[in-house]
Amino acid sequence: MEQILKLNHVKKYYGDKSGLITKAVNGISFEIEPQEFVAIMGSSGSGKTTLLNCMATIDTVTSGQILIGEKDITTLKESEIADFRRKELGFIFQDFNLLDTLTIEENIALSLIINHENPEKIEDLVKELAIKLGIESILNKFPYEVSGGQKQRCACARALINQPKIILADEPTGALDSKSARMLLETMALMNQELNSTILMVTHDAFSASFCKRVMFLKDGKIFSEIYKGEKSRKEFFHEILDVLTLLGGDVDLVK
Amino acid sequence: MLNKLALRNAKRSIKDYMIYLITVTLSFSFIFAFNLISFSKDVLNLSSMMVNFKYSMYFVNGLIIFVICFLINYTTKFIFKKRSKEFGTYLILGIKKKQITSLFTRENIILGSCSFVLSIPLGYLFSMIMSYIMMTIFELPKLIKINITIRALGLTFLYFLLIYFIVLLLLRKRFKKLKIHDLLYLERKNEKRRKQSIVTSCLFLCFFLAIGFYALFVFDKQFAGINVEPSMVKIFQSILMIIISIYGTTLTIPNILIYLVLKSKKIKYHQDNLFVVRLFSSKIKTMSFTLGTLTVLITLTLVALNISSLFKGMFEYQIKQNAPYDISINVINTENVAKYLAKIEEDYTIKDQYIHHSYQDSQNNIRKKLENDVYLWHQQDIVIKLSDYNKLMALKNEKPLELRDDEYLINCSKEACEKIKESNMTSFETKKGTFLTLKEITNQGFDYNITGFSYFAVLKDEYVEEIIIDTFLTVNTLEKTKEQFAETLASMEDSENCRLEDNYYICYTSSKIAVKGKEEANNKSFMTITSFICFYIAFIFTAVVGTILAILALSESCEYKYRYTVLKRLGYKESDCYKSIRKQLLLFFLFPLIIPCLVSFTTIHSMNKLFQIVLTSNNEYFHYFLASFLLFLAIYSLYLITTYFGYKKNIEE
Repeated sequence: MEQILKLNHVKKYYGDKSGLITKAVNGISFEIEPQEFVAIMGSSGSGKTTLLNCMATIDTVTSGQILIGEKDITTLKESEIADFRRKELGFIFQDFNLLDTLTIEENIALSLIINHENPEKIEDLVKELAIKLGIESILNKFPYEVSGGQKQRCACARALINQPKIILADEPTGALDSKSARMLLETMALMNQELNSTILMVTHDAFSASFCKRVMFLKDGKIFSEIYKGEKSRKEFFHEILDVLTLLGGDVDLVK
Repeated sequence: MLNKLALRNAKRSIKDYMIYLITVTLSFSFIFAFNLISFSKDVLNLSSMMVNFKYSMYFVNGLIIFVICFLINYTTKFIFKKRSKEFGTYLILGIKKKQITSLFTRENIILGSCSFVLSIPLGYLFSMIMSYIMMTIFELPKLIKINITIRALGLTFLYFLLIYFIVLLLLRKRFKKLKIHDLLYLERKNEKRRKQSIVTSCLFLCFFLAIGFYALFVFDKQFAGINVEPSMVKIFQSILMIIISIYGTTLTIPNILIYLVLKSKKIKYHQDNLFVVRLFSSKIKTMSFTLGTLTVLITLTLVALNISSLFKGMFEYQIKQNAPYDISINVINTENVAKYLAKIEEDYTIKDQYIHHSYQDSQNNIRKKLENDVYLWHQQDIVIKLSDYNKLMALKNEKPLELRDDEYLINCSKEACEKIKESNMTSFETKKGTFLTLKEITNQGFDYNITGFSYFAVLKDEYVEEIIIDTFLTVNTLEKTKEQFAETLASMEDSENCRLEDNYYICYTSSKIAVKGKEEANNKSFMTITSFICFYIAFIFTAVVGTILAILALSESCEYKYRYTVLKRLGYKESDCYKSIRKQLLLFFLFPLIIPCLVSFTTIHSMNKLFQIVLTSNNEYFHYFLASFLLFLAIYSLYLITTYFGYKKNIEE
């Protein structure tokens, strides 16, 4: 199958004034196929957020290629980046990033508005998706009137509504309690299985990662290991992840 | 330790404090500039002449204090909000609330004092620049002198104490009420959702609009005409009602606006409408009171500008009526013409000169119709030849009059014109029995005082009977004529008719002399000072309004930068972001302009009823309104543009 995302020897180095170079991402290559749900795990400072930012066109790479679909996003011009983000990418952030002056419904619709979707269709599209994600009852509320979990599901809906090639999620459960986190992950799994979206999630939480089909482990800017869920149950997969993490060492959050 | 910590934190939020410092400094410099002008000698003299003017100044002063107090309170709140988390952390660490309160109070006092000190030279500079600009506009060198007076300084200081007393009192109250939790989460607190149904909003809007219209109606009634003495009580009542109406309307409009935009899918989902309108309405909701105050200020600015224009127009009309040419002389003894010209040439360079006569109409066509009204000073109707008339028009740089063979024209003073119009004057019978039809009745600023008649007819040369009544010498000079030159000319009259009395030549003669310089000097004092002050007030208010709006917008841009980050991450182009910002700022700046535009137009329309008799034309006020509005708009746009670039910079950082 044609891959959705392909990384070729991606490197991202930071230098400081004293000439010290930090290799945040040090030659990473991998591919993601359509309808995959992949987690990238690693301890703090392992380079996972930097990697995600590079894929999200928020940060630039030092060398290497990042292909989304046919396009090498490292060569995109400033003016093309916005278009690319708009059409091909969906984002979910740890701190929700919802606009406080818009209602939940309007926040979700924002993506469509930016994409110049036909105004007549927008409301129906939003409602349809909201029902699937179980947030139809809060559509008319403002972000500050709903819980964190609901906010994050709204963010999911916003990321999903454009039908992007890939959804990038940065610690989506980071600001949620365990119950809300579980609900969100179930939602994401649903998005992946029933709505056929491809999701790449960065997390340091084994519980979150256990909802994915594949987990990659990052250490010192390189891929340390990679495991697939296959036919295993979520619980089995969870323990497998914990095992790898133990091997990996470091301050990984093992709770839950 | 706490002091050190606080100082370090204050340093860190230097940018926010800069906003604070600039706001407070500008505010006090505006107050100081205003005090400087209101305590200048000329204005004090004017105040003693006009009781109403004095009260208006009190009113304006009170309003300025109120607004500045409000503004400073707002900025203090802004800083407080910014540092709330820090204060919350101090509380968690076990520092007493009292200590933190006193720390923040001290900080505010120090900053406020710095601003006050800075504002004195700034305010002085400000007032100098403004009066220089205005002197140039009014062509009045050294009419109003601005000196730093102890009184102005003292009063500004008093205002400073008063304003800070109130602001700090409010601050302490705010501190007292807050709990640690509120402090820690203040930044995240959002405005409460005010649920008001659209019907209620509409009803409120109608109610406030009704008050506004009623107020304008009452105001209009006060200016029914020249014979009706306006009641100051009613005028102030209507002003109060207009203010209430402005606040009410500003409070209710956002709800309706949002409703209208959200109702139609097409508008709602078109481009960035949703984003812009939501932001705008949330902004109005949280500071509708500020916007109401700004709207009131803009209204006052425009009205002040209008009044200024009306007085300026009145002054110019008076000059045009009394001295349309630099020098005009009703020459009794025609032999004196050469003497006059020689005398004029001693002091000035003659640009144009013209001698013409007025002739008698033995038929007394107009008199017959008027039936011996009070306006008739001459025994006979007076006629002027078309060729003379057109030459005089040319000297004024005005278009020549064209008459058909069977037409004539009546030129009259405003009072006489009314009488003539009432009399249904139509045809004019010449000596030879030709009937002429009236082309028009005009009020083209001829010197009715000099000519000694309040109306005259203009006929084609061939119809005029050659019976000369008076001879006139009209001169335009290259230089501006001086006030004293009128005396010089008067002293040339047959000297047996003149004598020197207290350094003045008193001449008993029927010759009449008009010198523009003298007329200007006579009219300058009252009218121009009033006009000048209104202009000054308008300038200060514009500056206050512009500054407040700019600061509000810029502080918001710092606070809600993340909105644009989110938009960009969703794939919104940078150029689109700027477009949204432009739209938003435009809405933000134009919204408080709608009502003032309406109110200032209707009020000048009302006032015109009183002023039109001393203005060039009955519709002149419309030009004044446009000119005032455009002038305001020009300065206002400068603020808008500067704010836009500042906003952009803040977002880019």
